[in-house]
Amino acid sequence: MNFTPRYLGRGSWLARRDPRLLVLAIFCFVFSAIQVWDARLMLVLVAIAFLYYRSAGIPFREVRRQWTFAIVFISLIVIGNGLISSGRLRGVEPDVLHLYGYVPVLGTPISAESVMFAAAQFMRFMAMVAVGFPLAFAIAPNDFGVTFARLGVPYRFAFALDLTFRFVPSLSADYRTTIDAQRVRGLELDRGPGGIFSRLRRQAPILVPTVINAIVGAEDTIDAMDLRAFGTGERTWLRELRFDRTDRLVLAGFVVLLVVVTIAGFTTTTAQVWVPDFILPR
Amino acid sequence: MSSTTMSRSSLWGVDSRVIVYSAIGAALYGVLLVFQILVPGTTAVQARPAFALVPFFGFAFGPIVGFFTGFVGNAIGDQISGWGLLTSWNWSIANGLVGLIAGLAPLYLASIMSRSLAYRAIAGALAGVVGVIIGFLFVFTDMILQGYDFNAVLTTEYVPVVIGDLVATIILVPILVYAWEPLKDRMGR
Repeated sequence: MNFTPRYLGRGSWLARRDPRLLVLAIFCFVFSAIQVWDARLMLVLVAIAFLYYRSAGIPFREVRRQWTFAIVFISLIVIGNGLISSGRLRGVEPDVLHLYGYVPVLGTPISAESVMFAAAQFMRFMAMVAVGFPLAFAIAPNDFGVTFARLGVPYRFAFALDLTFRFVPSLSADYRTTIDAQRVRGLELDRGPGGIFSRLRRQAPILVPTVINAIVGAEDTIDAMDLRAFGTGERTWLRELRFDRTDRLVLAGFVVLLVVVTIAGFTTTTAQVWVPDFILPR
Repeated sequence: MSSTTMSRSSLWGVDSRVIVYSAIGAALYGVLLVFQILVPGTTAVQARPAFALVPFFGFAFGPIVGFFTGFVGNAIGDQISGWGLLTSWNWSIANGLVGLIAGLAPLYLASIMSRSLAYRAIAGALAGVVGVIIGFLFVFTDMILQGYDFNAVLTTEYVPVVIGDLVATIILVPILVYAWEPLKDRMGR
């Protein structure tokens, strides 16, 4: 697996935006989406999410594996929740459900309401995943620290975020090297006798050297920061970030979306499951 | 900075060491999260060996490092897998709380932590257990955020993740403490 940060959206319309916009857009969108259960409004949110995703210019072949994972995982969540919750839906009385039948063995009722709940949930997650992708692939890896610093995160933690993204590729390379070295010595990670405890214990020869080496190796970074008097005063970043007119307009759009969805949630039925007549059992 | 001698104020200090250990912990957790082991006899319980890093970093380096490791590491792991950095932000906070609670061990396990290395290794596991059981209670926010009912969150989210992560914590945190503490003393930390 490739852990190196990939700037796949380089040069796209979204990548040219102020990176703070990409973070704020996600916040506005996620908090909008979690208030909506009406599939009609959720469809609108899905359309906005995929329009936004498309503007990041991320080549699909590069993220096919991530999309596959996301779709499989979302499907498992939606199906699992539907089965485990025994057909109970928040805000819907069991005696008003329009039943199709019951799941064999489990006896979970399947109703028009639970189907629309599952559909809205699936669309919600898909939309949130689509909006989240540009944050990983349309922000220059070097811009993460300054982005969060300019969003008001204390500079120490913004610097920690910056360092985290820089450490990911080198630590994953160390991890692979450790696996190879231990396999050469005869360690079998995937096979061997024993249950879960034995299998977890077999991870120790990989985990311990990788972690301890990383901690010991961090001393160089700590020394370098101490020598530059890190922590004695407010730090600045060389990179300047500026919102231009387009950034302001896009951000205003997401803020308006959040406000409208919030108001609609209190004044209309968008926070409730919508069931169209044509799916009601005859 | 020894985990056994931390005062209340030093627990919350943020110096270059805290920043770098936080970044290392989060990056390692995010990278290693992709490797999971299905607990035999179950269909949904995954033991995540990398999860042991969250209570370990909290226990060894304090609550701030622990919270950052869990919170940012989980978000990065989600992003690497394709799930999205903030799609399950409440789960990232839950992971962070595990590290934070484990990092507060000097406040509630002081008597054990001042003893021999074997006791400190046990204290690491205990701190992790406390952190996992309490920290993951935050996933019940899915009742509000995702509209799940209590049973759904309990049986499909809280119990499976707590079982899987407790197994990883109990086995791997003491091993990591055993490996780190003598080295820490040699390094003069």
